[in-house]
Amino acid sequence: MSVTETDWIREVLNQYERPLVRYASRLLGDLDRARDVVQEAFMRLCTEPRDKVEPHLDRWLFTVVRNRALDLGKKEGRMTPMTDSHREQPSSRQDPARTVEAEDTAARIIRELEGLPTNQREVLRLKFQNGFNYREIAEVTELSVGNIGFLIHVGLKTLRERMGSMQGGTMRTNEVQS
Amino acid sequence: MSTNEDKYASGENVDLTAYALGELGEAEMENLAKKLEGSPEMRAELEETRAMAAALGEALDSEPKLELSEVQRAAILGDRSGRDSAVPRKAPKSPMRRVALVAAYAASIALVFTVGAHLMSEVEDNELRYKFSYVKEGGASSGDPVAAIGYLGDETRKQLPLLGYEGDAGASPGVDDQASANWSAWHSFDGADGFGRPLSDKERESFWGNPDSTSANTESYAYIRENKFRSVANEPLSTFSIDVDTASYANVRRFLTNGQLPPADAVRIEELVNYFNYDYPTPTGSDPFSVNVEVTSAPWRPQHRLVRIGLRGKDIAFEGRRPTNLVFLLDVSGSMNSADKLPLVKKSLRLLVDQLESSDHVAIAVYAGAAGVILPPTSGNAKGVILEAMERLSAGGSTNGGEGIQLAYEMARRNLEPEGVNRVILCTDGDFNVGTSSEGELVRMVQEQARDGIELSVLGFGTGNLKDSTMEQMADHGNGNYSYIDTVREARKVLVEEMGGTLVTIAKDVKIQVEFNPLEVAAYRLIGYENRLLANEDFNDDRVDAGEIGSGHTVTALYEIVPPGMQSDERDVDPLKYKRTEDPSVAAGQGEMMTVKLRYKEPKGSKSRLIERVVRDSGISLEEASADTRFAASVAEFGMLLRGSENVSSSKLEQVLRRAVGGLGPDPGGYRTEFVGLITRAIALGVTGDANLRALGYGEDLESIGYLGEDE
Repeated sequence: MSVTETDWIREVLNQYERPLVRYASRLLGDLDRARDVVQEAFMRLCTEPRDKVEPHLDRWLFTVVRNRALDLGKKEGRMTPMTDSHREQPSSRQDPARTVEAEDTAARIIRELEGLPTNQREVLRLKFQNGFNYREIAEVTELSVGNIGFLIHVGLKTLRERMGSMQGGTMRTNEVQS
Repeated sequence: MSTNEDKYASGENVDLTAYALGELGEAEMENLAKKLEGSPEMRAELEETRAMAAALGEALDSEPKLELSEVQRAAILGDRSGRDSAVPRKAPKSPMRRVALVAAYAASIALVFTVGAHLMSEVEDNELRYKFSYVKEGGASSGDPVAAIGYLGDETRKQLPLLGYEGDAGASPGVDDQASANWSAWHSFDGADGFGRPLSDKERESFWGNPDSTSANTESYAYIRENKFRSVANEPLSTFSIDVDTASYANVRRFLTNGQLPPADAVRIEELVNYFNYDYPTPTGSDPFSVNVEVTSAPWRPQHRLVRIGLRGKDIAFEGRRPTNLVFLLDVSGSMNSADKLPLVKKSLRLLVDQLESSDHVAIAVYAGAAGVILPPTSGNAKGVILEAMERLSAGGSTNGGEGIQLAYEMARRNLEPEGVNRVILCTDGDFNVGTSSEGELVRMVQEQARDGIELSVLGFGTGNLKDSTMEQMADHGNGNYSYIDTVREARKVLVEEMGGTLVTIAKDVKIQVEFNPLEVAAYRLIGYENRLLANEDFNDDRVDAGEIGSGHTVTALYEIVPPGMQSDERDVDPLKYKRTEDPSVAAGQGEMMTVKLRYKEPKGSKSRLIERVVRDSGISLEEASADTRFAASVAEFGMLLRGSENVSSSKLEQVLRRAVGGLGPDPGGYRTEFVGLITRAIALGVTGDANLRALGYGEDLESIGYLGEDE
């Protein structure tokens, strides 16, 4: 690598390292693995011609990390792929001793988010944590823009309802059918 | 809202969400905007969606920031050296084991000397008890180091709880546990092994900031060039600013307790010496502090003299102080997410809040991804509210300190106490990302705010990331203190016991200038204060900033003096060739050794006042000197040894230990005793080779002060 090339990689690393590790760790549920996946993605970036990658750098990185994470997840059978999305795990309800009121709103939101189906969670994260728009998310996940819009809508609505109902307000029926 | 549910699958609500998030095309947007006008339900849902989106974005922002390991980063950037340094070192993992090993070698000579501090239970037990005992060589046959290691390793292990100060070293596994618990809570953690990751141990270490790991460490310290001897003929004046920071001592203690030697530049001798309180008399006249000078012989070079200058600020009862307006600025970035950081910050601040009164105000600001207000200025009466706000804090996100500090200053300004204390207290591990502004700009801002009466204190926390020099610099320019908090005990010392000194400034811009008499002194050397030196002309220049002294604070400075007629090999320049050899003034012939001049300003004043003291050398020996002076000298000598200073090349830690023990005095709080324990740690780490302590006659010394264990 030339000096300017290294500088560029360093810059990209500084900018994307944290979002990518966070994203991958959510996909994989394991920090070590997540870091390995991200490292691999950057190693690949070093071998890629810069002008080819740069115009869509963020999506390229997220796509590479995502695909590698999915591969790894499938291989080890420890991750539910996007298509198989109806994972019911409202872990939030498992601890009645915990007083909901005392909990930080942010922590509650995260907990509820983790209760959503995998595909909704991932898309919501890409949108609200990584700042991608629908079109970009579609590119990364290889889903249609319409599909993304639907997943985000349903995800947000479910969150709203769960957050609302937890405040002791009107218990709304959750009719989400995704 | 039930009407919305009906339309659920219709696609309209999907569009509405897209509209709320700004994802709709122009035409669709206009379309929907029209529909919105006619439907209050839709407008309500739009608002709810927006609110949820904002809350979700904020929640996701606060998630812990996760990074690659240093090793991986180095691998990506093709940095071979980084990769090499990443190979786990062969050094034993546990600092305890390392101590035990060294101890074992010592045992093969004769006997082992172990010092233990009782594991202290956090806040309640603030009385430190030490036990010195000889451990008999026992079953190990002398001259067989392997057997000795085995035996003594066990012995030392049995004493594990006795070996840690407040469990620092012993607690490192606990910290790990805590950290992995955090991670587990954050996401179900699966320890199963994955595909090729030969460095995962190392990574985990750097991720959780294992105190053992030095190679993945990003702590930084400014280079210190030790002061040299100056010839009085060429430079009769020596000028410096006082420094009451103590961070370096706590940091050095952290290293030694973890079984490591601190980097030389982490050792600032004046901060070591000033960590301790000295029993100087309280001022009697109108001056806010007393000046006390003692001259004795230099322990490490008995032919040289040692001058101790001691200041003591007048006491202002904390209760009778002026109203205090505090803004805590807390770093809640991901790197603060370990047991020795944010949880300790909370405990520490709780100690401080407990002492506040209704006329005081506290506000809390945080910084991470974005800066935010956690608690608006709140009366010291509402302790519950303050503590509750603090409890809610959690670590996560990246750091933008620049924004955070601006916010904190704004909040302090909102509640400015024109007659009282206004201070921002920054709590951080030093990961202080100033954003777009440079460090220089930051320092300038801190300085300007201090000029307007808002001071800045810095409390450093944690390991592995400490930006020591930045933090010291900020507190220095902010007219505040820089302390390093490694334990609740240290928090108690800084925020409770020395609260007055920390928060109530009684004099500011305190400068010291010493004029040496060429007839009585050939050369001199200021010990420590390397980054506090001032130009001689700065002394009378009231625009030049200097250190603050707080209520009840003591400040100590030491000079090593070469008496006349004695050659000092450290003399740095030739005698001046063209200098007119003037006859000494009349005063010089009066036997005065030196004149100590001090300048200070009242806390809100802008004109300095001058204090002068003439010093004569009455020729007392070290043994005749006060316990305070002997102790201060041993702390300085210890610091010099840790720094590897050539000025103490003939010193041995064992001698320092003996002198420190001799200077313990009443030692309220047990801090000096703790220091003695640190010396033995340094001995175990091999700062000097000779560990055959009995031969040096420790038994009697320790027995005489009642520290010798009963199992002798």
